[in-house]
Amino acid sequence: MAIDGLTRNVLVYVDGSEECIAAAQAAVIMAKKLGANLHALYVVNVSLLEELLKARILVKLEEMDYRQDLERDGRRYLHYVAELAKKKGVEMHTELVKGVGNREVVKYVQEKGIDLLFMGEFETMHATKDTHFDEQAWIFKKAECSIMIVKRPDHVERVYNALD
Amino acid sequence: MRISDFLSESVITISIPGKEKTALIEQLLDLAFRTGKISNRDAALKALLDREKLMSTGLENGIAVPHAKTGAVKDISMALGICREGIDFQSADGKPSQLFFLLLAPENAAGPNVQVLAQIARLTNLESFRRELIEARSPAAALEIIRKAEY
Repeated sequence: MAIDGLTRNVLVYVDGSEECIAAAQAAVIMAKKLGANLHALYVVNVSLLEELLKARILVKLEEMDYRQDLERDGRRYLHYVAELAKKKGVEMHTELVKGVGNREVVKYVQEKGIDLLFMGEFETMHATKDTHFDEQAWIFKKAECSIMIVKRPDHVERVYNALD
Repeated sequence: MRISDFLSESVITISIPGKEKTALIEQLLDLAFRTGKISNRDAALKALLDREKLMSTGLENGIAVPHAKTGAVKDISMALGICREGIDFQSADGKPSQLFFLLLAPENAAGPNVQVLAQIARLTNLESFRRELIEARSPAAALEIIRKAEY
């Protein structure tokens, strides 16, 4: 049972970046220490593909090809982070969904009663002020849970490695 | 994902002598090839031209994004061509293309590939960005315009 029930369900958002690995390690540490349930979510950003299709940058054949590739990559990333959890004796529930990354994260948080969300550090891109693309801002604003942005990946890895 | 991370002055040209689509693609490919990131120029060219056969990558507003996935690169490789006069690239709006973002992507990096394409789409969607880039007087100036837009 998690300490005083404050953190019962922990989620790590896996986006395939190097940064999300540190987030996954931190989530494993926290889930183990608190006895919380651990979830990992990967979103196949089909919306982005559809936009590229609409903009005629991709043709349908490419869009379908990328969709399959992203799904395959997502399963690989989820398997990787699940192994990180398994190594520390923590069970991880993994889920791959299709949609808009930030919206699916917010939806998952609500549906699964997530108390704490871990994310890797996002890139800052002033060219993408369009809120549709500003994933981090959207999640901060809409997610109904506490959020931890994991920095100092070397430090997190050391703590993860030292975990019994 | 910033496209300026994949560009350098050496892969940007504001001097495009030809007015023919394939010649332009080859010129940009050669710039990228000189970086040493492309293991097989012919295979990369074939991938780009095969993609053009599906549908021209000439978009609207003077933008073209010739691109392909190929085993000839291990990491994303880019080049940028700027031609103020414009070239017929069989664009979606029938107008001459002026900005050419060539992108070669490895077979096994769908996420980054899609993000780079999306970033090109977002940047070139900004009218002020397109206008500034078309007016760039040197590769260094072009790179600075892109960096400024991304950071």
